Amino acid sequence: MATSPRDNQVRFEPWKDPDAQPYVRIERVTKKFGDFVAVDDVTLDIYKKEIFCLLGASGCGKTTLLRMLAGFERPTQGRIFIDGVDVTAMPPYERPVNMMFQSYAIFPHMTVEQNVAFGLKQDRVAKAEITKRVGEMLDMVKLGQFAKRKPHQLSGGQRQRVALARALVKKPKLLLLDEPLAALDKKLREHTQFELINIQETLGVTFIVVTHDQEEAMTLSTRIGLMNHGEIVQVGTPTEIYEYPSSRFVAEFIGSVNMFEGRLTEDEPSYVRIGSDDLEQPIYVDHGVSSAPGATVWAAIRPEKMQMSREQPAGPDNWTAATVQDIAYMGDLSIYLLRLASGKVVRVTQPNAARHADERITWDERVYLSWDPTSPVVVTK
Amino acid sequence: MIARALKRVGITGRTLVTAVPYFWLLLFFLIPFVIVLKISFSDAQISMPPYQPLFAWIDEKVLQVQLNFANYAFLVEDNLYWKAYLNSIFVAGVSTLICLLIGYPMAYAIARTRPSTRNVLLLLVVLPFWTSFLLRVYAWIGILKNNGLLNNALMSLGIIDEPIRMLQTDFAVYVGIVYSYLPFMILPLYANLEKLDLTLLEAAADLGSRPWESFLKVTLPLSVPGIIAGCLLVFIPAVGEFVIPTLLGDPGMLMIGKVLWTEFFNNRDWPVASAVAIALLLFLVIPIMYYQRAQDAESGGGLHR
Amino acid sequence: MRQVIGAAAFPLLCALALAGCGGKSGETGSGSTTADAGPVAEEKVLNVYNWSDYVDPAVIEAFTKETGIQVRYDVFDSNEVLETKLLTGNSGYDVVVPSAYFLERQIQAGVFRKLDPAQLPNLKNLDPSLAGRVAAHDPGNEHSVIYMWGTTGIGYDAAKVKSIMPDAPVDSWRLVFDPAVVSKFKDCGVSFLDDPTDMVATMLLWLGKDPNSQSEADLEAASAALLAVRPYIRSIHSSQYIEDLANGEICIAVGYSGDMLQARDRAAEAGKAVDVRYSIPEEGALMWFDTLAIPADAKHPGNAHKFIDYLLRPDVAAANSNFVNYATANAAALDQVNEELRSDTGIYPTPEVKERLQPNLAKSAEFTRSLNRAWTRFTTGN
Repeated sequence: MATSPRDNQVRFEPWKDPDAQPYVRIERVTKKFGDFVAVDDVTLDIYKKEIFCLLGASGCGKTTLLRMLAGFERPTQGRIFIDGVDVTAMPPYERPVNMMFQSYAIFPHMTVEQNVAFGLKQDRVAKAEITKRVGEMLDMVKLGQFAKRKPHQLSGGQRQRVALARALVKKPKLLLLDEPLAALDKKLREHTQFELINIQETLGVTFIVVTHDQEEAMTLSTRIGLMNHGEIVQVGTPTEIYEYPSSRFVAEFIGSVNMFEGRLTEDEPSYVRIGSDDLEQPIYVDHGVSSAPGATVWAAIRPEKMQMSREQPAGPDNWTAATVQDIAYMGDLSIYLLRLASGKVVRVTQPNAARHADERITWDERVYLSWDPTSPVVVTK
Repeated sequence: MIARALKRVGITGRTLVTAVPYFWLLLFFLIPFVIVLKISFSDAQISMPPYQPLFAWIDEKVLQVQLNFANYAFLVEDNLYWKAYLNSIFVAGVSTLICLLIGYPMAYAIARTRPSTRNVLLLLVVLPFWTSFLLRVYAWIGILKNNGLLNNALMSLGIIDEPIRMLQTDFAVYVGIVYSYLPFMILPLYANLEKLDLTLLEAAADLGSRPWESFLKVTLPLSVPGIIAGCLLVFIPAVGEFVIPTLLGDPGMLMIGKVLWTEFFNNRDWPVASAVAIALLLFLVIPIMYYQRAQDAESGGGLHR
Repeated sequence: MRQVIGAAAFPLLCALALAGCGGKSGETGSGSTTADAGPVAEEKVLNVYNWSDYVDPAVIEAFTKETGIQVRYDVFDSNEVLETKLLTGNSGYDVVVPSAYFLERQIQAGVFRKLDPAQLPNLKNLDPSLAGRVAAHDPGNEHSVIYMWGTTGIGYDAAKVKSIMPDAPVDSWRLVFDPAVVSKFKDCGVSFLDDPTDMVATMLLWLGKDPNSQSEADLEAASAALLAVRPYIRSIHSSQYIEDLANGEICIAVGYSGDMLQARDRAAEAGKAVDVRYSIPEEGALMWFDTLAIPADAKHPGNAHKFIDYLLRPDVAAANSNFVNYATANAAALDQVNEELRSDTGIYPTPEVKERLQPNLAKSAEFTRSLNRAWTRFTTGN
């Protein structure tokens, strides 16, 4: 049962199926607060059983988008469909959607049990049924023995699970999670991430998660929608977002990246060459790029995709000379900051595969940096 | 030097600071209470002060203490006192309920407006306190009397032909009490409702509650401490209310405050007046203490489980 | 006798008074403190506690100018407030102005010092017949000097009463005590004093009994008669009727003589066509006295005597009477009292009417309790 999301992605890609119907459809939705545009013309399709992460810095509009899905805010323009039904004007209490709040919003005057039963009572579910489902749900989140406790008697992690149980017990088709792990400490967070995925797969619920934490998004999601200034800048699987960022913003937001500004010197369908003032040799990329000739482009190369050596690499492309400015030893890997002739500082990570440090490149050494033709990602914006 | 000396006998700055409220209560509550209690066990006589001393030295050796419970027995024997207590509690109870019904929506509305407007509204709530209480009650005479503002307005609008008698009715007393004590209901309720985490209401809506259900199941239970504080602040002074029934009410309205006044000033029977006051205090304090105990037991009990 | 309501202060005062009265219970007995107030070096200060608006301010200034004694002047608005201060002790006042009914029981409690006639040469100006009446309260007039006096009668709005009942018996207590008569004025508005002793004594007077009777049977009879008219009484209050008469809220009030004059003046001031009249019914009425007395623990008894003697001067007494619209007991001052006031038989009754006036004497504690209990039954109507 417990499959990791990465395994899952191989088989589970409904967005690639032209016949698949999106479960949640956000259609050209804009939300303005006065003059401030919080969400700007967003169109998004989310499929059944996805864990879709809305990722972005604070103030990017991701929470507003989530609140419009829950029904707490009305879009200024555009429409929202859930399971084919237009819910744009539907009040929250009629939507087949539940939300887990960042603050958990657990009712302080009710016991754990009463909190979880709240939604079922609202739906006039039979008493015996409520007892059964609440019991099952509490067992699932491992809170069975805390049923009679009041929220102020629980730890942060326990409260998080109460909030989750309360939202899930209604068997919603769509669960919205607003920064579900933000209030937990690091160790608990990692553990809970996998728990969340397990629960999601067990119940087959569609999750839409809002987070500012890229690691969380990478671990949890089937797809990520990266937001900036109210707009969705890229939608894709974690791998796509990481390996094929569509813009400088995406490349720089996810992980670290070395960005080289330059111009296309050769533009062929099967390869391009880019000249950058920062580099001694041009960058050679083994695929074509759609851009106007002579336009400014950026080549993004991840730190782990660069190699250092004391010998000058052969060939005319994809290398430059540099001086080691700083080294940070992280255990499993080391981060090198290298200064180029232009003064630009480049970041390179090297796994510490060998135990002995004798051979390692050290401070102030002159080295050559190189990369594969497949490594750079060329973006035009 | 002094600080060190105090510390040696166990007196620190902290104990001194916490002693201030206790000292205050001792000076302005406990000592007067003990004096009134003492007088309540005494017997009236024509003298200065007009009651017999409780303690007397016999042959300067034996301290004789005479406790006279007759004053309390008297309260039980004459149905006047029971009726007055019950009527006062009834009037105060109805007034409290009306205050709650009016004050809750007001407090709720204030707590939900924008902070800038909120301050103006709160100022308006407390604004009447800038005028003397007595003047404000007198103003109600001017409004409610036959020839007053309200009747004249209704008559000039042609709604009524003859003035409606409002002054010196129970209606006027309720108007007076509700008007005077409404701020004491609104302020604690506001303080409570303003603190309410609005995401709890969103959570309730998210779980399927319509707005009024959310109100009943979330807002209302969470505002219970505010309701209780407001009700006590209105109920307790309203039970002993003397001025409003005297000025606005029917002279036949039997209130314990008036009975106390009669005992003290007309009968010049300080001991019985004291007994009336002590009994009133017990009537009010015992239920409140009982409630407090119950509250403590509820909030503390779960922790031991 | 006026009982203007400073009501907000009462509960507080109760509490403070009760709180502040520990100890000091040895000084009982019957006002037998010696009258040896020799004018030994007293500081030039006098603390006076009088009813509000009950003196011509010019009189106080003139007294200070003449004697060099600074007068600290405080006011009260009910006998009960004054009594509480006096009974608690250490009031700090040198001259106080209780009504005779209260004076009587306060003397019994030993509140006052005996006056020294040698220091009061102007005592001779006092009307001996009035002084004789006060002697019923203060035997031998040992503790007090009359300041003002008046009666408890009926004030009414002449025009309204006439329109409702052309032959209304305005000169008889029947107007307010006969259910057949008073019921006609129910909607017009009738007010009684909230004063059990005055009201019960007046009722007894109308019933042809001794107004100062302390028999339970008489009280029973008076109660029954009062209860019979209770349904027709709108308000029971000791000062509100002044305002209510003046602006036509009520048309008949049992109250104090000077108050009715005040109601008339207020109506005139407000430009209202309310013709307030005062009648001392033919069955007789109670007369009351406000008296000057010196507390036993007064710090400045010499100055107090000087002040009382000053108030007894004919010109001073007349000035005060003219200012406050109450009758002075100062026979020598009558010539200097305004003609309009002097000829008002409501204020200065004719000798025949005076004959029918009765004192309202202090009652025993037991009877007072029965009286007040009966009164509560009356006010609540059961």
